[in-house]
Amino acid sequence: MNSQTPRKWAFWFILAAFLSWDWLVTPTIDLRLEPPAIALGSGQTPTGGHCAIAN
Amino acid sequence: MIKRLPLATLMVAFFLMLLWAVSVRQALLFVIGIGMGAALAGARFGFTTGWRQLIEHKDPRGVTGQIVLLAIAALLAMPLLANYTELTAALGPPSISLIIGAFVFGLTMQIADGCGSGTLYKAGLGIPLNMGILPLFAAGSFLGSVHIGDWLSLGQTEPVGLVNSLGLEKALAITLAGLGAVLLGVRLWVGKDKSWFDDKWLWGAAALALLATLNLIVAGQPWGVVYGFGLWAAKLAHAADLFDLNSNFFWGQEGNAKILAQTVLLDVTSITNIGILAGALWISAKASGNATPLTRAQWMIGLGAGFLMGYSSRLAFGCNIGAMLSGVSTGSLHGWIWIPLAFLGTLIGVRIRRRYGF
Repeated sequence: MNSQTPRKWAFWFILAAFLSWDWLVTPTIDLRLEPPAIALGSGQTPTGGHCAIAN
Repeated sequence: MIKRLPLATLMVAFFLMLLWAVSVRQALLFVIGIGMGAALAGARFGFTTGWRQLIEHKDPRGVTGQIVLLAIAALLAMPLLANYTELTAALGPPSISLIIGAFVFGLTMQIADGCGSGTLYKAGLGIPLNMGILPLFAAGSFLGSVHIGDWLSLGQTEPVGLVNSLGLEKALAITLAGLGAVLLGVRLWVGKDKSWFDDKWLWGAAALALLATLNLIVAGQPWGVVYGFGLWAAKLAHAADLFDLNSNFFWGQEGNAKILAQTVLLDVTSITNIGILAGALWISAKASGNATPLTRAQWMIGLGAGFLMGYSSRLAFGCNIGAMLSGVSTGSLHGWIWIPLAFLGTLIGVRIRRRYGF
């Protein structure tokens, strides 16, 4: 084990804890509203956030 | 060193969880993100390093690799955008916010030794400064999003998309001509006797261009990094009741408010960001050795730069990925404004970096 290993574990533990907390406090995903697996050819404009978008 | 078998098991388990409980699309994007992380870390494809090598050593190989990446990505993305109206480009508004943000981002990324993707893959590799920077980058990105309405009120124009406004052929020709002009400028700067190509940079460029295109095909939007970071910090700020996000210009928008209310596992950039971290961790499993220890002053300066980098990336409508790669390859004018301003900032950033002995 090198000196970075404990920091690595801490980093991944915090990330996993954040994702778990977020999963628990947000509404259950309604799988009936699942978008098409691939956007290309689906005819549905994506609604995801992107850093280039101003609002 | 981390063993790869348990790591692979965890990655497969997370993929199956996404497939089962979230969506096929998010599961696919996680795999694409792993590929991005592996390509970035495996090739050590650092946008920051490439620029610094050009300035300090007149070594053009990194920048050539980046130009090849932009060219391949544009050749792949623009025809798709022209033919499939459901796909969107990375269109940011030319604005005062963009000008200031890109300059500060270019400066701070040299001190922090990593742009958006660089911070992610280096954090995944376990480099201490970048692991420390990541949460501050997220906090800065969030604060930038909170203030973005005020910054935009200083002056902006509508986003310009070359594919939409000029058509595919002209947009592609202008983009490739622009990249050729940058290459020519680099050639004039470094002189004739330099080696231009490096296998590592070239395979990295080809892999990343392909993965960025897959991201566009699957998600319907170009690759981005910063939005996911800002969202993570926004979640925590919202939970701690630090901001009234409902009345905020950015987070009060219907689309952003909806994303804020749902799990981050449904967010496109969050999933690819997690994939990038995992892909880089996979690469780090074969690596060993420690990073050079930093002094207390270097830590403070590096972390401060990381926070500013997050803030400025939001003002600049993206980092090297969201603004430069995705912006230029999908024909957004803001990507072309971003590059020279970030480079100007980098010219100062490399000097500050040297001054503090990084």
